Amino acid sequence: MTVALDRRRVLAVTRRHALVLRRAPQSWFDILVWPVVDTVIWGSIGVYAASQGGASGAGVAYMLSGVVLMHVLYQSNVATSTAFLQETWSRNLMNLMVTPLREGEFAAGVALYALGKLLVGLTMVGLAAWALYSFDITTAGLALVPVVAVLVLCGFAIAQVVVSVVLRFGNGAEIVTWGLLFVVVALSGAFYPPDALPAVLRPISAVLPTTHAFAAARASLDGDPFPWHQLALAAAGLLVILPLAVTFLVRSLAAFRRNGSITRYS
Amino acid sequence: MRRSTAGSATVATMPAVLEARGLVKAFRGARAVAGVDLVVQPGERVALLGANGAGKTTTLLMVLGVVTPDAGSVDVLGHRLPGGRSRAMEGVGFAAGYLPLPEHLRVAEALGVFARLYGVADVDAAVAAGLERFGIAHLGAKLSTDLSSGQRTLAGIVKATLHRPRLLVLDEPTASLDPDVAQRVRTGLERACDEDGTALLVTSHNMTDVERVCERVVFLSRGRVVAEGTPAQVAARFRLANLEEVFLHLGEEEAS
Repeated sequence: MTVALDRRRVLAVTRRHALVLRRAPQSWFDILVWPVVDTVIWGSIGVYAASQGGASGAGVAYMLSGVVLMHVLYQSNVATSTAFLQETWSRNLMNLMVTPLREGEFAAGVALYALGKLLVGLTMVGLAAWALYSFDITTAGLALVPVVAVLVLCGFAIAQVVVSVVLRFGNGAEIVTWGLLFVVVALSGAFYPPDALPAVLRPISAVLPTTHAFAAARASLDGDPFPWHQLALAAAGLLVILPLAVTFLVRSLAAFRRNGSITRYS
Repeated sequence: MRRSTAGSATVATMPAVLEARGLVKAFRGARAVAGVDLVVQPGERVALLGANGAGKTTTLLMVLGVVTPDAGSVDVLGHRLPGGRSRAMEGVGFAAGYLPLPEHLRVAEALGVFARLYGVADVDAAVAAGLERFGIAHLGAKLSTDLSSGQRTLAGIVKATLHRPRLLVLDEPTASLDPDVAQRVRTGLERACDEDGTALLVTSHNMTDVERVCERVVFLSRGRVVAEGTPAQVAARFRLANLEEVFLHLGEEEAS
């Protein structure tokens, strides 16, 4: 993947997807409706469990912090993946591939667009948690900044895997856009400590950077000291999975060109 | 420096806009292109012809850097693919009858996105001039999905010529178009090529179009170049009256 990026081409990609967002009402569901629905489901489960004596106040906070932070992962992954899928759905891949646009510029443009969607989606889920359950995620303090950064980068890494799988196997594989994300969410203990997972799954959970990001957020909500240890583990995990995801994407793109797979989309 | 056969005189010219040598491509063991050489000089209008499955589109896709050849080399505007693909494509436009503009965008918006990708300085002026050139200025505000197939083709060619490319590659530009729209496509293309000195590489099944627009034709059969020259030269070589008859003759040979 080429490193040099042309700013105009990056912004052209962002603009293209922003224009689609404006014209496709279904795209708004992801950032306006789904965050509120998730907040209501998980917040209400937490409140009900607490009222039955099954969870403490902290348990409710775990649920709500989990749903807010899950949306960081969700938005960064889904916005990026669906922006690529949008090009396949509208048979625009070929149009893009015959322009000077480089793969890195497309990725950067889409990432910029995803960050915009993330900001709106995160605002919605944060406001819903605050308005409906009086839960303020910012009480987690400064640790929230690296936690969000880790989750955004993990979302992008998952998106690269999704795009790679679609490049290799076609649009029939687009189920992984959402499927892979929810596997990661389940294994990462977004709504519960990883100890609650079946023992057989805990080793997998332990190597995921997302697990340590969620754990860092919970530690901060509990008022523990700044969770350096968890954040260091998350960063180390990222240093492994990001290059792996990029390598998988680069190889998948090479296979896409080698196999003439563009004919699926033209 | 190479010699151009464009026009009546043989003159010293700039390097070829496209030079592809020894292109080979197989898909799942079936050879689609088997050693094609293809050179297009600046301003030259070349047609790549052949029956379905002859290897035309695969050759075009390799020339555009969308498909990686198994063997051979492609130089576009002096840039070797795949490393120089981005720089090369700054001077190349591509449109195909089967390729729509992206959905959810108005025509002018979609064209504006592509103008930016091509690095056009004055995007709005380029889009307006492009739509005007092909007589579809009234379509700028329409959603791309609301266009008829003829309008889609015209909008696609506008997209491919926004940046005044030095090489325009077209795959079946007049396929399934009404005669009046096909005429508008031909006229617009000839104007674009004349005004900008753009070289043209086009595939088509319409031999009348080819004889009107192109000065050189390259016939492919089973992934190989089987005839090359002016339309009259190629017809004469097969002792046939015109390109249509050559096309049918080669098609029958390929089917047998």
